[in-house]
Amino acid sequence: MLIPRILTCFSIALLTCSTSNSQGILKKIKDKAQQAADKVVDKKIDNAVGVDNNNSNPNSNSPDMSNVGRSGKPSNKTGEGLISTPPNVNENLTSAETSFKAGKYSDARYAVRQAMLGVQMEIGKNILAGLPETISGLKKDATTDQVTSAGWGMGWSGLTIQRDYKDGDKQLSFTIANNAVWMQAVNMYFNNGGYMQTSGGDQKWKQIKVQDEKSIIEFDASSGYKLSVPVGQTTLLVYEGINFTNEQDFMTAINQINIASIKKQLGEK
Amino acid sequence: MKKIVFAFIFFIACFQINAQDFAKRLTEAKAAYSSGKLDDSRFAMEQMLQELDVITGKEVLKILPAKMGDKSANAKADNVTGSSGFFGVIIHREYGTVDSSNIDLEIISNSPLISSINAILSVPFMGASGDNKIIKINGYKALVEKVAGPNERTDYEIQLPLNSALITFKAPGYSQDDVIKMANTLPVEDIAKMLQ
Repeated sequence: MLIPRILTCFSIALLTCSTSNSQGILKKIKDKAQQAADKVVDKKIDNAVGVDNNNSNPNSNSPDMSNVGRSGKPSNKTGEGLISTPPNVNENLTSAETSFKAGKYSDARYAVRQAMLGVQMEIGKNILAGLPETISGLKKDATTDQVTSAGWGMGWSGLTIQRDYKDGDKQLSFTIANNAVWMQAVNMYFNNGGYMQTSGGDQKWKQIKVQDEKSIIEFDASSGYKLSVPVGQTTLLVYEGINFTNEQDFMTAINQINIASIKKQLGEK
Repeated sequence: MKKIVFAFIFFIACFQINAQDFAKRLTEAKAAYSSGKLDDSRFAMEQMLQELDVITGKEVLKILPAKMGDKSANAKADNVTGSSGFFGVIIHREYGTVDSSNIDLEIISNSPLISSINAILSVPFMGASGDNKIIKINGYKALVEKVAGPNERTDYEIQLPLNSALITFKAPGYSQDDVIKMANTLPVEDIAKMLQ
């Protein structure tokens, strides 16, 4: 009784092995046939477009692959990047109106966001234009001027405006974050009793007033001075000073930026 | 029948109000921009987006199934909250009228939970833990999760990410198969198009 069972199992195992082997052989034959077919097609295409793959002459017209990366792609050496064109506000508002009337609410939303992006970029550029050309002998670095907006709807960052002033290794970086959710973190310093100023030990930060606005000044030996000023309901100004002699030197530089003017342009009270 | 007619008239009236508000905000945005009051223009646009969010939410409610399993939609509990910016719009629909056993459907656009759900769906071993299972609802990947119900009962919740929106479907007291079956009646593709 046992022997027929063993024989049956053995037969099934043999059959399975032979099936899988024959499948493997069939697959290999199929792959080889596919490769051969691909080669023929490639050769025909090369002939049609006039490319000679057998040419090993280094002076041939084949592309320079000297900077080929690991993935086999050549590295990019040219291109002027993207053109920074803010969206046209009026056009997008008209488009929003048309889409809304046609019941295409998703398109209307996109157009309003684009219009908002355009307005935010304009606000940012106006603010940058109103900032001083030099501060405490540091010249503005126009190449690092930046206005960033995700339009409304992303919510996290809103509008960000950046300007750097430099002279040698001394630098003042100024950032405005408008409609920024994370400014709540700074307000927490003012509202939460847990963040108390200490008189002893190493003073890392303290509260001060700048142009009648409550603010927090920090110092770190490696990154220098940092001042955070929340203004109005949704705006945060951040000043970062590298290689300033002392707090007074840093504050003199900061006070050359008119906060009231920035608040007005951002519609903050 | 009277109730349905009343609900329909109420819905149309609300839509008209939103549409009027949108047109008003559009005029304000254009006027403020023309006179160089950029911040006022921006504020009017924020209002426009909120109006659009609410209108879109109401349109989404229109295409949701009128029944879910053995329960009918509770029109009184339909709610659309437009909070453009951080969360986007929250669309809420309930099926049934008994609070403890209502089937809840919530659609949140710009949901902050979206990245964590997407991460779970992209990494199979994370989703296939004891309490979670990755499934498909109308061809879209979703996560079905075991949750503790009252009296040691096991309930099931489905979370389905759609671009930046998140659909959450809760059906307490139903088996996992029933919950999945009911979720499959949602017009996910149409919702995705409306919220994109």
